[in-house]
Amino acid sequence: MRLDLSILVPYVGFLAQGALLTVWICALSLIGSFVLGAVVAIARTSSSKLARRLAFAYVDLFRNIPFIVQLFFFYYGLPEIGIYIDALTTGVVALSIAGGAYASDAIRAGILAIDNGILEAAEVSGLSKRVVFTHIVLPIALRTSVRPLGSVLINMVLTSSILSTITVNELTGQAKIVASDTFRPFEVYAALLIVYAALTWLVSIGIGMLHRRLNRDMQPDVR
Amino acid sequence: MRYADFTPYDLVLLLQGLGVTVGLFLATSLIGILVGTAWAIVRFYRVPVLTPAITFLAELLKNSPVLVQLFLVFFGFPAFFHLNVTPVEAATITLSANTAAFVYVIAVAAIESVGRDQIEAARVFGLTRWQVLRHIIGAQAAAFSAGPLVALMVNQLQVTSLISVIGVMDLAKIGANLNMRTLKPFIVWTVVGILYYLAAKLVATIGARVENHLRSHSAFRGL
Amino acid sequence: MIEATDVRKAFGKAVVLDGVNLTVQPGEVVSILGSSGSGKSTLIRCINGLERLDGGKIKVDGFDVSVPGQLAEARKRSGTVFQLFNLYPHMTALGNITLVPMEVLKKPRAQAEAEGRALLASVGLADRADAYPAQLSGGQRQRVGICRALAMQPRYLLLDEVTSALDPEMTAEVLAILAKLAEQGTTMLFVTHEIEFARQISNRVVFLEKGTLLVDLPTKQFFDPAGGLAQPRVAQFLSKMRKTENP
Repeated sequence: MRLDLSILVPYVGFLAQGALLTVWICALSLIGSFVLGAVVAIARTSSSKLARRLAFAYVDLFRNIPFIVQLFFFYYGLPEIGIYIDALTTGVVALSIAGGAYASDAIRAGILAIDNGILEAAEVSGLSKRVVFTHIVLPIALRTSVRPLGSVLINMVLTSSILSTITVNELTGQAKIVASDTFRPFEVYAALLIVYAALTWLVSIGIGMLHRRLNRDMQPDVR
Repeated sequence: MRYADFTPYDLVLLLQGLGVTVGLFLATSLIGILVGTAWAIVRFYRVPVLTPAITFLAELLKNSPVLVQLFLVFFGFPAFFHLNVTPVEAATITLSANTAAFVYVIAVAAIESVGRDQIEAARVFGLTRWQVLRHIIGAQAAAFSAGPLVALMVNQLQVTSLISVIGVMDLAKIGANLNMRTLKPFIVWTVVGILYYLAAKLVATIGARVENHLRSHSAFRGL
Repeated sequence: MIEATDVRKAFGKAVVLDGVNLTVQPGEVVSILGSSGSGKSTLIRCINGLERLDGGKIKVDGFDVSVPGQLAEARKRSGTVFQLFNLYPHMTALGNITLVPMEVLKKPRAQAEAEGRALLASVGLADRADAYPAQLSGGQRQRVGICRALAMQPRYLLLDEVTSALDPEMTAEVLAILAKLAEQGTTMLFVTHEIEFARQISNRVVFLEKGTLLVDLPTKQFFDPAGGLAQPRVAQFLSKMRKTENP
């Protein structure tokens, strides 16, 4: 029962490649979830009953079905209907769709939190609905949603590990290879836990900084 | 391998898988709630050494992927501790620990939500910490944590699907087998998805009932 | 001209406006007085379309606010200043003022900003153009709100208790600006509790009580014992307000 972390040393570069791929996957999926989340959030707060119902159905469905089931559905199912995309793209698509459901909740909360008076001022000033959304609603909603969206990103970093089950060699995928190479799964996976925890910690620090920066003009001056 | 079509027996298989999923979910949730609450009580008593150790462990478990935790226990423990771990045992240990970490955070918040004035008054009257915990904090904390706990439960139900990766014959694993046998991923994963969805809704509904019951005895009766 | 005919508005079972008739001609300064719940703010909110009428008609320069196609035109002709300022928190003072001219009138940024700065200078805030609302005092925010309403050069300025959320010093700042605007001939319709101010700058005073217009007279006549004060409710209201002003 000897803990020997030195066996990991020759594999640091190999694992770093995996980590980079994880970062890349999460960056792409973040953009995807964000765009999807914003669209769905707008649909959920729209005046059209149909839009609200469809948007709610999407969120409800993808929040109550395990991600691995969603992933396998796309990975095995898409070729069946003639769509052939590689595992990495499938993974990013699946993560974006799942992440979009949670992101839409965060953005929707931000939209609903906007002071009604501000919306009234915008309404009577003659601005078109589109302009009110792009220039007033979204900028304010996003400033409040930074922290909740950060949680979605952190979750995404952890969920990305599941992509290793469809042959994507991100961090967990690489670690599996290292574990079988070295016959030291305990050290490998224990170190992996710490690396992921460190990654999410970095993300939360970044989110904190972003939140402060975006909201600094909305804080009253300390006189 | 002969690719076969669906048979009525497949329904039985799916239900068996669902049974394994629900069974493990209930067992690990129960253990997780007990352990997580115990950890929170340790923190309440401000036990030295133990409290920061628990906090560190909880943070690690919360901020790392469950899949990696599963690999650590299923592959790592046998290699390191030289003992046999079956897939079900690994699943039970991992999911219980993971749930406990999240319950810990909820329980700590719930305990702290009970106003200090109540605790101070009780202590001044001579109640021991345990009595304060049991009679004053207990019911209020339970009512406070009911909501977050139900949300956690719904989430942990999804998380159980990962145990299929280490070979537990849960609903997701049956789905994977059916998929390989029938090569009809759309049907298989849709059905599996629906089953998980229904199970999640069931947990949410029962959880809401329990929450209402707990809340009915709490001090805040609304405006 | 703003023409309100037989305006009715109810919130659920509570009738807030019960057949109100009011006309405001260009160049007039009309103040609306009345106790809380009398429907004063609701009337303004019906004129700028924030509330839908349950009965009657309101026309701004001939455009019917109840007709969706005409509401936009009606709104172009009026500017509203709110009790709680309602500035856009994520934009600077200048940004708040230039948003609508740039988006609706398609003015180029340089021109819109120059005009915006001129407006800010006229209210004494030339140096605060790049400040955010959170960094401004209440009185300053309201002055920005007035500039924002004026940026589109509206025909009619609607003011909804614009000093009620301000302390006496800031109230005086804002009232000074409103007085200047009145002098310059801006058509104003304002709801206020500042009786003395209303008396000084309005041509006409109107008294709302429980949803009906009890009195509608030129200022001098309104405050005359034989005119407006002859109405018992008006006299009662004014004496109560005077008591709180001069204890």
